[in-house]
Amino acid sequence: MTPDDPTLGIPADAMRRLAEMRPGQATTLFTSDLSVNEFLLVREAGFRPLGLVLGSSIYHVGFQMRRWGQNQELDTLSQAMYHARELAMTRMEAEAAVLGGDGIVGVRLAIEFKEFGNDLAEFLAVGTAVKADQTAPHGTWRNVKGQPFTSDLSGQDFWTLIQAGYAPLGMVMGSCVYHIAHRGFGQAFSNIGQNVEVPQFTEALYDARELAMSRMQAEAEQLRADGIVAVQLLSLPHRWGGHTTEFFAIGTAVTPLRDDHHITTPQLVLPLTDR
Amino acid sequence: MVGWDGQGLPPSAAARLERSRRSRLRTSLLGVPAAAAAESVDLTPVGEVMGSIVEHLGFQGWGGCGWYGGRGWAGPAGWRQMGGPGGRGPGGFAGPAGWSGATVSSGGRDAYAGYGPYVQAVYRGYHTALDRMLMEARGLGADGVVGVRLTVEHLGQSNREFVALGTAVRAKSPLRPAAPFVTDLSGPDVAKALRGGWVPVSLTIGISVAIRHDDWATLRQASAWINSEVSGYTELVSQVRAEARDQFAASAQRAAAETALVSRMDMRVWTIEPSEGHRDHVAEATVIGTALVRFHPTVQAPTRALTVLPLGSV
Repeated sequence: MTPDDPTLGIPADAMRRLAEMRPGQATTLFTSDLSVNEFLLVREAGFRPLGLVLGSSIYHVGFQMRRWGQNQELDTLSQAMYHARELAMTRMEAEAAVLGGDGIVGVRLAIEFKEFGNDLAEFLAVGTAVKADQTAPHGTWRNVKGQPFTSDLSGQDFWTLIQAGYAPLGMVMGSCVYHIAHRGFGQAFSNIGQNVEVPQFTEALYDARELAMSRMQAEAEQLRADGIVAVQLLSLPHRWGGHTTEFFAIGTAVTPLRDDHHITTPQLVLPLTDR
Repeated sequence: MVGWDGQGLPPSAAARLERSRRSRLRTSLLGVPAAAAAESVDLTPVGEVMGSIVEHLGFQGWGGCGWYGGRGWAGPAGWRQMGGPGGRGPGGFAGPAGWSGATVSSGGRDAYAGYGPYVQAVYRGYHTALDRMLMEARGLGADGVVGVRLTVEHLGQSNREFVALGTAVRAKSPLRPAAPFVTDLSGPDVAKALRGGWVPVSLTIGISVAIRHDDWATLRQASAWINSEVSGYTELVSQVRAEARDQFAASAQRAAAETALVSRMDMRVWTIEPSEGHRDHVAEATVIGTALVRFHPTVQAPTRALTVLPLGSV
């Protein structure tokens, strides 16, 4: 579309609209933290933004003894990470439900440890509640729990997902806070000057990641999802020292909207900029 | 030399404006893609524009945290404006469990409570900087200012400089808006928005500060050995964010906008000790973004996304 397109006189129409504006006149307003690209693509995908939604929880993470020489999950800490994220997400979903949203797109989950207290962290979930222009082919856009769907996909990815005939059901996550054993003097000594695998470390990292991923999978099964897209598997050291790490798996559970999943073959473009 | 009286533009800015009006030289802060994007929707850069103000923030307000020697909450009803069963966040959402009323915020009815004067001063800082920038833009005959950067620098001794910096553009159009539009969206973003049928109106700002006493329950939750949400702190940050978002939306509403895209949402929490053994927490939330209106006649946006795969280096 070019500016001289007769249906859309840019910028004359835009200037006319600005000239007609009367500050203070009543309008229906929505807020959103989507970028312009995301905003336009979400609209094009057939969803209307309703407003920015947000949930927050400041959480005190408890204490758990770690055995110096043992690989173990620190379940108190795992539970804390789960519970606090759940609180933030639930509050965000509640705001979206009040707005009458079918779902929440572009969700960001952030954890920020606070300077003003020991083991205090803020868990924050922010996204944009959207309402579909049309009802879903399978009845409702909401998930099996009757909640608005959530998705941490960007607006671009969301557009592509809908084009490809899938709908998001919800963000699914799995968390496991794991303490990796310190090695005894004898073990460390025997490896000096050698390039060898350290099996207990390998095993610990395997265990922890598997726990996180299987928990995420279980959440997706609860939502009766077909698959999980855009999975991120993160190791978050937070503030627990070198041997204690949170393994965190997060993705968007999806369900098919139709049987064929073709999108138009992308055109190749050569950008005139480096990025 | 006679000092400048604070009205209009400072003499040096007025002189620069006068010089650029006479000259054919056009300056711009836009990069090549941004300039090309602006040109593609018939917006021509006419010059870089700036507004600045140094403000002394000497009075932050009074009223404290509303806690009196263990006797409980003794604030006037205004302090509970956000609180109690009637309290509501954006969209009628009643907060995590409804605000308890124990948080004193700048949005309350008492203008001095919860750092009210401080918040007003920060608003004045931003708005004066933006107004002065707009004055320069009008002087250049611009229809809008794109890519606006708002910065605040602490100069020490409670002095702060607020700066707004952007590129003024003029539309190839027979019609002129009553006031130039202002946006912190970049050149390409403005072009995409215009092609999608949306035009930026103004920069929108929401600020709120709230204070909350560290009461017994808060201290207990924050120092226990077990996992627990610290409901006092959660309420403090939730309320201050909700208020900043309300202010942000209200400001967009006053501009008669139809959407407001948030570009920045910051939060700062710090501890104060007004007296021995008395500790409060203060939270400041800032939401900044661009308000836009729709001008395309159809409900459906006239965009038509192409699937392309960029062969770039990323």
